[in-house]
Amino acid sequence: MANLELIILIVLVLGVFAFLGGKLNKIIGTAFTILGSGFEFVSIAYYGFNSALDSTIEFIPYLSFMPTALGVFFGIILTFVFFMVSFFNPYFIDKYKYPAVYSMLYLFSLAGVIGVFFTDNFMTLFFFFELVVWTSLFLIPMGRSRKAASIYYGFSTFGSFALLFAILVMWGANGGSFDIETGLTALNGSETILVFMLMMVAGFAKLGAFPLHIWLPKVLTKSPDPVTAVFSGGLEKLGAFVSVMALLKLSPVGINIGVLDMQLTHYVIAFLGALTIVFGTLMAIRQDDAKKLLAYSSMSNGGYILVALALMSTTSVSGALYHVLAHALASTAAFLAIGAVARQTGTTKMSELGGMIHKMPVTYLVYLIAIISMAGIPPMGGFISKWLIFQAVIDKGLIFISMAAFFGSIGSFLYVFRPLAALFLGQELPEFKKTIKEAPLLMMIPLLVLSALNIFTGIYPTDILRLINKVLAELGIAQLTIDTWTITGNNGDLFPALIAGMFGIGVGVAFVIFIVLKKSKKVGLMDTYTAGNFIYTEELLHYSVDFYAPLERLYAKHTDIMKNFYKKLANKVKEFGAFVKYFFFTNKPEVTVIWIMIVIAFLLWGDVL
Amino acid sequence: MSAVLLIAVPLLAAFLSILYKKAAPYLLLAVSFAAVLLLNYVDFGTITIGGFAAPYGISLVFDSFSKVALTVVNILFFLVSIISIWNYKKLGTVLLVALAGLNGLLLTGDLFNLFVFIEVSGIAAYIITTTNKKPLATFNYLVLGTVGSSLYLLGLIILYAMFGTLNMADLSLEIAGSGASNLVTAFPFLLMFIGLGVEAKLLPFNSWVKGILGNSNTLSGPMIAAVYASAMAFVFGRLLTSVFVFSDQLMLIVSIVIIFSITAGEAMAYASTKAREILLFSSIAQAAIVVLVFALGFTGFGAILAAVNGFSKLVLFLVINHATEEVGSDEVEELKGIFIENKLVGAGFTVATLSILGLPLFVGFVVKMNVLKSLFMADKLIFPAVILLASVVEGVYFVKLLVKLWYKKDAPASVSFGLPIAYLVTVIAVLLIIFGLYTAPLTDLASDLVNITQGGLL
Repeated sequence: MANLELIILIVLVLGVFAFLGGKLNKIIGTAFTILGSGFEFVSIAYYGFNSALDSTIEFIPYLSFMPTALGVFFGIILTFVFFMVSFFNPYFIDKYKYPAVYSMLYLFSLAGVIGVFFTDNFMTLFFFFELVVWTSLFLIPMGRSRKAASIYYGFSTFGSFALLFAILVMWGANGGSFDIETGLTALNGSETILVFMLMMVAGFAKLGAFPLHIWLPKVLTKSPDPVTAVFSGGLEKLGAFVSVMALLKLSPVGINIGVLDMQLTHYVIAFLGALTIVFGTLMAIRQDDAKKLLAYSSMSNGGYILVALALMSTTSVSGALYHVLAHALASTAAFLAIGAVARQTGTTKMSELGGMIHKMPVTYLVYLIAIISMAGIPPMGGFISKWLIFQAVIDKGLIFISMAAFFGSIGSFLYVFRPLAALFLGQELPEFKKTIKEAPLLMMIPLLVLSALNIFTGIYPTDILRLINKVLAELGIAQLTIDTWTITGNNGDLFPALIAGMFGIGVGVAFVIFIVLKKSKKVGLMDTYTAGNFIYTEELLHYSVDFYAPLERLYAKHTDIMKNFYKKLANKVKEFGAFVKYFFFTNKPEVTVIWIMIVIAFLLWGDVL
Repeated sequence: MSAVLLIAVPLLAAFLSILYKKAAPYLLLAVSFAAVLLLNYVDFGTITIGGFAAPYGISLVFDSFSKVALTVVNILFFLVSIISIWNYKKLGTVLLVALAGLNGLLLTGDLFNLFVFIEVSGIAAYIITTTNKKPLATFNYLVLGTVGSSLYLLGLIILYAMFGTLNMADLSLEIAGSGASNLVTAFPFLLMFIGLGVEAKLLPFNSWVKGILGNSNTLSGPMIAAVYASAMAFVFGRLLTSVFVFSDQLMLIVSIVIIFSITAGEAMAYASTKAREILLFSSIAQAAIVVLVFALGFTGFGAILAAVNGFSKLVLFLVINHATEEVGSDEVEELKGIFIENKLVGAGFTVATLSILGLPLFVGFVVKMNVLKSLFMADKLIFPAVILLASVVEGVYFVKLLVKLWYKKDAPASVSFGLPIAYLVTVIAVLLIIFGLYTAPLTDLASDLVNITQGGLL
């Protein structure tokens, strides 16, 4: 048995040690992050799989914990992401201004994440939720931008304060108890809808879903590369957790759309999820910065999770949960691969990179596998989840939403292969020819492990689906029918291993052909001519810059609508402040006296006289 | 020991310090330190002055509420004095008078007596703010302070004419017993509310704040923003929870004033680019939240909120004012990166800020949660909604400020804070963390304060 409070306390204490160790030597601090997150992952995964997490011993008063299947599922994924990313910390720590603080906050936010997933008390949940917000907040400015931190804080706290308001409403309805299970059922009537909306605001803000998505590309692009991976693969998923709570556990009963046999509330969420998919896809197609591109793809994948959760059927919810896992693995791998490139070259802009495959073949392969999974192509994990989600959407007869889902999937073919072509393939740039090496060994560990898991989740999903079935049982949803090698969906069975086998044979045949046929000849870059002239400089001749210009032109003018909206909102707040300053804070006391008289007159005019 | 000494001794010391001018700073430190120490030995109860039993004579009330208030204000006062008096040695006498006035404010159980102490501490405050070297701002402060106290006096006179008593406890009994309608008492209460609101920085009565705190120095900034502000918050607490009756129209006006103060305060801070202005406008919003909590009758966490705010404000104003003095500008752009060389002070400043924002691990979280719970209990959902929305704005500008103070690409402004400030800031920061984790004392104190008697003992 492993005590949950102890697990959280240990990581907090290790965080303090990481700070003290980091003061001595930066690398010692990062070693503590590897140790701490590794310990957390192993204990949560081992004891969680065996249902041996216990919460009976109370070390900390006021905080109470209760392991649930849902919490274990999310807990394993997030601690794993933290663990994998922590291997990157030693190589990036030199770039940070406050390395010891970085190591400490890294572990503190991990503690916060575990706390959120394993508590049975709303106040504890909020405590850890906010802990995650402010600890991760200070990781961001160590990267490339100072502004991203305040934007993140603004959106994030807007979400968490909405959650707090919902929690306090439930607290009132539940007779002054913060218990999660009874709190969610104690509501009635309009209060349920209110709490539902507030919790979904929190979910949207964390997940970076439309219309609360502005922070996501900003933060994911500008934060340090390992932190980006943590945000995309890990912290974002807190939003999915809150959404599960609101959509499936609270699940308000309001107006039912008869044609679809679906609650209006859930349809609205699914619709917004669909918009998130479309906007994320369209924006991702436009990007030049590989990190930003992946950031928008994270956003659109968040949309899939929302759509699937809102449908509430067996296939959709299991698809959503599987997508949480698959996307966490794939996006962590992709961001880490880009991070590895960024560490070696110092840029993530596709227009400035090329031909990295020559020097970083393993990183290339990792990225390739990750994007295949992201695009939902077999034999990777992303395929299984999309297969489940697509049939659920079609089965429910949601035409517009399924159009959005398919659009997102096809769109992702368009954008995820661009970094592959621009960054890894093609012309090898002269400035990187000599200096670049493959990523160091310690960084290879998470890259290879994540790739192996990306493939594994696509071939043999049974064990994970069993875990998901436990979650489904807990949520009161019928379980998914699975066999050792097959998954039974709405429209027939899926044999993931068979598909993977076929795919493997295909790859094998291709490899044989590659071996048997004549070797290609390597030539120098200037060993060619264009427009009848020889080439004398090795300038970049990318075809992947502005590749989709005709498509982009269709919506280029409308890409900043939401961004401008929030900018204007911030300006309005500023204007209001300046207005009040101008009217009330003058150097003339008589102005204040007039205001005092107006207030008094208001009273006298109202009632007394 | 009698509570009278807390007023009498500083006054006596003030007179003595006129005779021995060189000894004034030491006298000040000795007296204020002694006040902090001896507070624990003051007996609970009501002291009548001049031999007339209450409600006829003037009485001082020393109960658990005034004890908390006095402790907080005296500690803050001592800390500000010991750090800042050395540059302003001439002010020793004035500060002793201020201490007497502040202690009187918190002790008195008599409405007219309160007016006297408002004037005494107010005059001391005007003189303290002359060190800003902005005579016009001080003059404005003087005028508005006088307008405020006159309004308070006017309200007081009306109440006296109606009920024939000025003793707080007696008055609240009289009002309850006479069956006077809320409409009748609304007018004098509003006048008194405005009068105190001027000092407590409620919008729209507080235009003096910008001139005073926007140009403050290491003495006047923390003194007005931390010490005076918490003292006024506690005075408000005493009156709002035990004397004033707010209902209907008056409650509406008070609510509007408070909501306006919160939203406008945060918006103005967001719109500011000067560090001192950011702090002063945000303190307007916080003062309004304290008044709100008291107005809804939650003595316990209102008092704790005021106390915690006082200590956090002390850290913020001290650090920013000191940096401003060294750099010569309080534009945030000029102050960029001052914490790079002063990590300890920076850490303390950050902790104080995060505590004000109500983030977990810090005491601000505990207080904020309990305050919000209280507001929900009162079933006035508009207030938590406004507070939470305003806190988003608050968080954004504070995070912006923090990030700017911690990072700068090229050479940062060089500021050295010196050992006393570093030490003080660190100790307060550690305490903010300790009480954020170990909350039992706070909740005990809060429940203790709920049981104070109406308007103190007779």
